[in-house]
Amino acid sequence: MSDTNEHKLDPQKWVERYGDYLFSYAIGRVNDSGKAEDLVQETFLAALKARDRFRGASTERTWLTSILKRKIIDTYRKKYTSRESSFGEHDGTVFDGDFYRDEEPFKGHWLEGMGPNSHSFLPEGELELEELMKFINLCIENLPAPLAAAFIMRMIDEEDSDTICKELGITPSNLWVMLHRARLRMRECLEKKWLS
Amino acid sequence: MANGPVYRMMVFMSKRMIACDEASFLISLREDRKLDFRRWWQLKMHLLTCHLCRKYARQVGELEHSMEVYRDGCTHESCTHHLSHEAGSRIDKELSRELNAK
Repeated sequence: MSDTNEHKLDPQKWVERYGDYLFSYAIGRVNDSGKAEDLVQETFLAALKARDRFRGASTERTWLTSILKRKIIDTYRKKYTSRESSFGEHDGTVFDGDFYRDEEPFKGHWLEGMGPNSHSFLPEGELELEELMKFINLCIENLPAPLAAAFIMRMIDEEDSDTICKELGITPSNLWVMLHRARLRMRECLEKKWLS
Repeated sequence: MANGPVYRMMVFMSKRMIACDEASFLISLREDRKLDFRRWWQLKMHLLTCHLCRKYARQVGELEHSMEVYRDGCTHESCTHHLSHEAGSRIDKELSRELNAK
């Protein structure tokens, strides 16, 4: 029985057929080519071990991608739990001292320079895809690891909040706060990138 | 100034209205879920009076849009990354070693 499955899978051709695709997928999410290469390799090896479980219900590529996706989520989770995180276990408030003033009567107002400077951070005219990708990658890299994990799962993988909470072991209100903090930083970072 | 009418008015208002920290949180939250009426109204009122948060709201919209472009972008040839030759053959080698070990 597993013979028929192995006929459908063709491990000798994997690197040639799916190497670039999986590598691109990984690099858009981990932003480090060495790490992305490792993830692709781990994916293929894990797939090889699990090939008896391939039922042919999906294409080879979809199946491999789903394995890669698990691996990527694992790296987020590792990053997330290895950090004594002040973001995951946030201090009970949603507010972030880096961005808002703390003294009455201006408590909660934007700190000078931390709010938006203009209506738009995007440049006028045609949006340069390559530039946009580059800046987004750089800004994601600047996010604290737990925020990056939540942001990537939500905005790039478009996972629903239940899934993200389960994967990262957090509550929904934790997640909303993390996404808020990630957006604060992404917006600020992108605006600065385009101004400079 | 510290006890003047402007100060007292701001303290009074700050008890009823939300400040930018909360408003920006709600701006983010409404991307992920529907706001209840009270929060929706509080945000609405805040945005009426705060030009910084209006800018912020617009930029968060742009961020959502940019991420959409980013997601779609990765299906185009232009942003395909290529696995380096060395990495490719290294992985190939690992794979065939595993295959032969079976």
